[in-house]
Amino acid sequence: MKRVLKLHSIFIAQYLKRLMEYKVDFLIGATGILLSQFFQIVFIGIIFSQIPALQGWSYYEILFIYGFSLIPKGIDHLFFDNLWMVGYQIVRKGDFDKYLTRPINSLFYVIVEKFCVDALGELVMGIALLCVSIPHLSMPFYWYTIPLVLVALVFSTMIYTALKTVTAAISFWTKASGHITHMLYMTNDFSKYPVTIYNNFVRTFITYIIPFAFTAYYPACFFLTGENPLFNIGGTVIAGVVLLAIALFVWNKGVSAYESAGS
Amino acid sequence: MIYVKDLKKEFKKTIKEPGLKGSIKALFKPDKEIIKAVDGISFSVEKGEMLGFIGPNGAGKSTVIKMLTGILTPTSGICRINGQIPQENRKKYVKEIGVVFGQRTQLWWDLALRETYAVLKEIYEVPDDMYKKRMTFLNEVLELDSFITSPVRTLSLGQRMRADIAASLLHSPKVLFLDEPTIGLDVVVKDNIRNAIKKINEEDGTTVILTTHDLSDIELLCERIVMIDKGKKVFDGEISELKHNFGQMRTLRFELQKAADIDLLDYQKKFSATQDDIEIESDGALISVRFNSDAVSVEDMLSYTLSQVHVKDINVTDADIEDIIRRIYRREVSV
Ligand SMILES: Nc1ncnc2c1ncn2[C@@H]1O[C@H](COP(=O)(O)OP(=O)(O)OP(=O)(O)O)[C@@H](O)[C@H]1O
Ligand SMILES: [Mg+2]
Repeated sequence: MKRVLKLHSIFIAQYLKRLMEYKVDFLIGATGILLSQFFQIVFIGIIFSQIPALQGWSYYEILFIYGFSLIPKGIDHLFFDNLWMVGYQIVRKGDFDKYLTRPINSLFYVIVEKFCVDALGELVMGIALLCVSIPHLSMPFYWYTIPLVLVALVFSTMIYTALKTVTAAISFWTKASGHITHMLYMTNDFSKYPVTIYNNFVRTFITYIIPFAFTAYYPACFFLTGENPLFNIGGTVIAGVVLLAIALFVWNKGVSAYESAGS
Repeated sequence: MIYVKDLKKEFKKTIKEPGLKGSIKALFKPDKEIIKAVDGISFSVEKGEMLGFIGPNGAGKSTVIKMLTGILTPTSGICRINGQIPQENRKKYVKEIGVVFGQRTQLWWDLALRETYAVLKEIYEVPDDMYKKRMTFLNEVLELDSFITSPVRTLSLGQRMRADIAASLLHSPKVLFLDEPTIGLDVVVKDNIRNAIKKINEEDGTTVILTTHDLSDIELLCERIVMIDKGKKVFDGEISELKHNFGQMRTLRFELQKAADIDLLDYQKKFSATQDDIEIESDGALISVRFNSDAVSVEDMLSYTLSQVHVKDINVTDADIEDIIRRIYRREVSV
């Protein structure tokens, strides 16, 4: 574990050094993400100027859920972004070879290699939205609220990373699966809003099939109302752990099916 | 040390007919073709040996290397290196081997070389004093000094290859796999790399398996070669053996003063030899006759030729290794 952290920090340090070389690149990336988030917020604002409450949710409650959803997504984006590349080209081009010739876990190696600071756009926006909305909300506060926030963030991030690992691993059989990861991320947009506004199908889908709702709505719901911690937080933990187990299994199966490319 | 038995690797390939219709058909009822890239290969390598792996393009050399290094899972068969099966405990296994693919780097594109080695030191858990000693040694044999501070992306092919080889040796592996380590390099860099490989083999007793299309690599480095073709082994033995088996083949070359004189020469009839023993090729007045010196002596060939025709220039040469291998590849002879 110590070694893992050491390696990770070496790569991050290298990455930051390189970032200084490509400052413009970083600024454009992060600004792009900030802007797109900003327009979404404006959009929510416009809706609320027409209807004061959405299925019983106030404007600030919605902002809180939205802001919360950006944080695990941002953490996953920051640390685990290279999984996208696995599905888009690393496997197809046979470049995955190099992840198998070093004495570290191939999944860990893929992940540690890249560090995506664009994600700071999402994180900054997420935190800003929480800061804006919390003063307007009367949220219950217990001694265990803060630890539970951390638990919720860790396991929500795990849900993202595990799902992305599974879709990336599909490329070991199909050669490319970037488009599947992409589709997955489209369903993710649903989870930024309260699930109660959706019909049964969508609700079931993002709760039990691809449980993105556990990365935002359910945990946020607990922090807003203090209700049902077992389902709201426990569900996040269970979804994270189960998906991670599935992800590791699929990844390892995929690595043995990996065919490289002719050379 | 290395034991390979009946190793096979098949790739399934979907055959798609051209056009949209073909795409749709491939989606619902794909035609699968099985490519037998490696089709039952067995061999073994002793500790400290350097084995040359040769064969024409697409023979399956890289595929064998990828199975031996744990990248690909064999369809069937066994490979065991140092008592370990590559795919079984990959992380433990790769600690004991070094791998270089001449075609693509395994280094990090944006990292400076010095930093690359520092990262590898952590990955392989090389102790500090060991690392210092190793770097000094590698620096000396591969001459890394002049570009050690440059990012990998800025290195020339020759520099990058040396960098990759050094990276594969940092942790003093017991076995080194080199897939075309001299591809695309100039003579000087080739020499440098060959010397480095030789030195590492001599000083550390590293077992080396290398594939190449440059037969001088093999002649300078390896005692033994394994030749494969279409996934099957066609020769396994010492180079001297290969030379000996085919060494009696000689080539007689001469230029006729009058090109039409060629009709006066009928070697096969004169020596009542078969096509296998004497073979004649002509290019205008330039004639070359390949013959088996066990069947017909050099002296007889020369005196018969000179008695029949007038020549400008004449010589007899031994078959060289390149010539032998060319003929095996073309399936003119079987081993
Ligand atoms: N990932 C792959 N998918 C499908 N077929 C493959 C794959 N890799 C190799 N092959 C096929 O397997 C055969 C052997 O390929 P391989 O790369 O091992 O040849 P090689 O001996 O290394 O050739 P070269 O000298 O050109 O490098 C070829 O017919 C190739 O088309
Ligand atoms: Mg090859």
